[in-house]
Amino acid sequence: MSLETYSGVWDEQVASHLLRRTMFGPTFQQIKYATQQGMETIIDELLILPASNLPLVVSDKEAVVSQGQTWVDSPFPVSNPQETQNARNESLAGWVFQNISNESLSIHEKMTLFWQNHFAVEESNDARATYYYYKLLRDNALGNFKDLVKKITINPSMLQFLNGNSNTKNSPNENYSRELLELFSIGKGEQVGEGDYTNYTESDIKEGAKILTGWRIDGVQSSISTKVNATFIASKHDTTTKNLSSRLGNKVVVNGNENEYANYIDILFETDHAAQFICKKLYRWFVNYAITPVVQLNVIDPMVQLLRMHNYELKPVIKALLSSSHFYAITNRGTIIKNPIELVFSMLNSTGSKISYTTPINYDFYSQLGGICAVMGMNYFRPPNVGGWPAYYQAPNYTRLWINSSYVNLRFLISSVLTLTDKFTSKVDKTKSWQIDLIAFIQGLSSPSDPVQLIDDLALVFCPKGLTQDAKTKLRFILTNGLPDFEWTVQYDEYVKNPSDISMKKALMTRVGLTLDSLFKLPEFQTI
Amino acid sequence: MERRKFIKNSALASLTIPFMFKNYSYAAITEPLFNLKRSVEDKVLVLICLNGGNDGLNTVIPMDAYANLYKQRTNIILPENKLIPITTKNAFHPAMTGMANLLQKGKLSVIQNVGYPTQNRSHFRSTDIWTSGSLEQTITTGWLGRNFENDFPGFPDGFPNETYKDPFAISMGYEVSATCQGVLGNFSHTVNNPNDALNVSLSTAVNDGSYYGSHMEFLSTIIAQTNKYGTRVLEAAKKGKNLSQKYDIKNQIARQLKYVAQMISGGLKTNVYVVNVSGFDTHDSQVLESDTTLGNHANLLQSVSDAIEAFQDDLNLLGLDKRVAGMTFSEFGRQIASNASFGTDHGDAAPLFLFGSCLETPIYGSNPVISDQITHQDGVPMEIDFRDVYASILKDWFEVSPIDIQKMFAHEIKFHRIIGGCTLRMDEVAEDGTLTLLYPNPISITATLRFVTANEFVKVSVYSLLGQEQQNMYEGMLTQEVHKLPLDFSDLPAGNYVLRIQKNSGEEKVNFVKLNA
Repeated sequence: MSLETYSGVWDEQVASHLLRRTMFGPTFQQIKYATQQGMETIIDELLILPASNLPLVVSDKEAVVSQGQTWVDSPFPVSNPQETQNARNESLAGWVFQNISNESLSIHEKMTLFWQNHFAVEESNDARATYYYYKLLRDNALGNFKDLVKKITINPSMLQFLNGNSNTKNSPNENYSRELLELFSIGKGEQVGEGDYTNYTESDIKEGAKILTGWRIDGVQSSISTKVNATFIASKHDTTTKNLSSRLGNKVVVNGNENEYANYIDILFETDHAAQFICKKLYRWFVNYAITPVVQLNVIDPMVQLLRMHNYELKPVIKALLSSSHFYAITNRGTIIKNPIELVFSMLNSTGSKISYTTPINYDFYSQLGGICAVMGMNYFRPPNVGGWPAYYQAPNYTRLWINSSYVNLRFLISSVLTLTDKFTSKVDKTKSWQIDLIAFIQGLSSPSDPVQLIDDLALVFCPKGLTQDAKTKLRFILTNGLPDFEWTVQYDEYVKNPSDISMKKALMTRVGLTLDSLFKLPEFQTI
Repeated sequence: MERRKFIKNSALASLTIPFMFKNYSYAAITEPLFNLKRSVEDKVLVLICLNGGNDGLNTVIPMDAYANLYKQRTNIILPENKLIPITTKNAFHPAMTGMANLLQKGKLSVIQNVGYPTQNRSHFRSTDIWTSGSLEQTITTGWLGRNFENDFPGFPDGFPNETYKDPFAISMGYEVSATCQGVLGNFSHTVNNPNDALNVSLSTAVNDGSYYGSHMEFLSTIIAQTNKYGTRVLEAAKKGKNLSQKYDIKNQIARQLKYVAQMISGGLKTNVYVVNVSGFDTHDSQVLESDTTLGNHANLLQSVSDAIEAFQDDLNLLGLDKRVAGMTFSEFGRQIASNASFGTDHGDAAPLFLFGSCLETPIYGSNPVISDQITHQDGVPMEIDFRDVYASILKDWFEVSPIDIQKMFAHEIKFHRIIGGCTLRMDEVAEDGTLTLLYPNPISITATLRFVTANEFVKVSVYSLLGQEQQNMYEGMLTQEVHKLPLDFSDLPAGNYVLRIQKNSGEEKVNFVKLNA
């Protein structure tokens, strides 16, 4: 059994489906390009991870590093380190969303958010640890799942968050041990007896905690150390032999000191459970929430086989999934409701709009956008719990959880602010405001002077299953203010001839803004 | 509109208004009471946007220039004998029988040659100018939006709420009105059909049983539930009614105005309604070659004219006519000379119409001067600045203070006396020189009594026409000044009454009509 490769027609609709699922907001040009390149080429391109940049100092509260430089390897000041910590967190907030805004034609940002949901940690009280945790996720976004679990296990941020830091032989702490099994690797099966979760038991959590003892972090907010380190302290490690349950093959873990955790994880990855767990999560992230028996048999199981065959390398599996006829099936289009970050950055990225200011103002705008996502239910830095956002595990609602009356109000408000006003203002410099670059956006469409084509292009970019003719007509009416189509053409062409005519530009912006605002409030737009 | 500000800022907000002054010393509440303008709160403005640029010269024809017009637009000129004369010097397009009737009854005004300096003939730019009320390209707020913003800075944060449950403005259709754009939010709420008011999305997606279809249904449902204003509109639609038989439901404008009347009569506290009419961009086939009184423009004017007549008839029958005023506007007029396609191209100034029961004059402004030579591309020069029309409506209809109004506009405002004939202007005395005024009158529930006193004891009470005291409204010491007393008449049965103001400096009586609430 294998995932059947898609061999149907490769047109804009199909190509845009691929891009909407693998990016936050493909542009019209990217959709055209992907259509021309063909499926295989474009998937290969999507699976290349571009180099990442570094977060920069943007606040004068930073006491060690000067503005515009990076702080990720710099110690904290001796006095009042918290101010510097706050400044560095501000920088991280801007950096995270700038990365999403600057996504290239790559799956990178979408996968990074996938891992932030999977290995959900709250921000550390040392921004350097937070940064290196995110960097780990970014660098391994398409890496080896088993390796990533190992790296995460001794990552300072994770050690801090799930108390690995205080897990010692005399005072074992089960927190990470439990989540490693339940949420990060093999997943919790059905409870079939007392303390027996099919895939593992309570005693495995206890034994696992012992295995993981001895790891400590140091350097938090240190004025000397350039980073937060995780070190193995042999004297804190439980050197006894650990006996795993029958659910884990009655394996015996002998003392392995600083390698013992890795040996343990190797055991966890000996069965298909970890592969099943992560493949289902990938499926829910990229395809659909519903895993029916047929999907299990024809999609998940083949993914699991592939992942095992490639020794937990993720890229071949994701490639196979994105190339499968199942992925492109019409029944799997528009099945995911956008999370708040996908919502906001589909507005920005698909219109080709980037915050046009330089540091520190750009970071300020990006962090404000992140703040808006937080009030819409998705705080990037603080997932609601270690299981990540419920939209990706909680049946039966799944991504419907992103939608309620308050969230819809906010979704509509951010749409109106970004399309109809120039009042989204920098907190750093109140004279600087920003809105979606409406004119540059339509100029990038296939034939912006033709209102019929323009609305067709909008439907292609923003609506996974397009729009009915009736809805398109209503949108076109908004665009033209009810005038005959040729008047739009005349006005647009006039502007193109006189691009310095600001009043003409503003007038077109009003029409495009009203049109996009209506589009952004459609149910169709809320899905990918 | 200012009452809302008062309630928002005052501890009195939690109190019910009727008779509260019986238990309070007047001095303590005299300040806030002066801001309590129930009648203003109830005022409604209906904007009808004639999108595309209406040909004013074939709408209101300057008869003193007919001969010259004939030279300039021979192929589209309306025959003199078909026109509807409205004054000795003006006539209406033959399709405008409804509006001509209204004008004869004093319920329609023509404001001549409205425009702005240095006309921009781009549809979209000029629409921006008209909707923003500003020639500055940097202004992104609408003229009504700025007025709302003065009272409710921070909108939409915190709205709707317990005090302000209703939309401030309603835009008929699927598009918010740029006239109501505030700093962050747009004060207009879209309503396509008030009887289906929760449904504002132009989406036509259906639940076809797929995952996507179920999402569409789910999203549409939540979006509708989110639509708190929609719930209020729906309630008003259920309570509201129409009484006029004149609406032609095949006429889309009539249908929309019928909805507007229904919402107002249903008790919605919305101050502004916006209706859009398209098709006025008559570059060709404005008239039929065979008969210039027929064609696209005639059809449009008839639709608008019939609809306004029916709407006004409905308002009269519903007893709402003194609360509601209307205005048409279009982004520009058209050129004086016609083109060879039996049409006209983008021009400059044009007449606009006001309608309602509280107007000042049938024709305001002078007729345009038309050259006897064909003047290609010439439009009608502007005489009255549209921003001054707006300002006059804000002052004399919504009773916004002239100082606040001036802050909303970049140019130096000149007020025109065009509307507000049912009540005294806030800065004027009555024709007979007295200040005493009860408004509105007839009264549905509440009204305001404006009167002047010395330092003296005053009693205000309602008497029947036979001289029997019906209800005591106010008793107490007042200081020497002009007072505006809010009065609650909700307990009074419908009928004719006298309001008696007893005081040492001279008794006064005001006759009034109480309507069925």
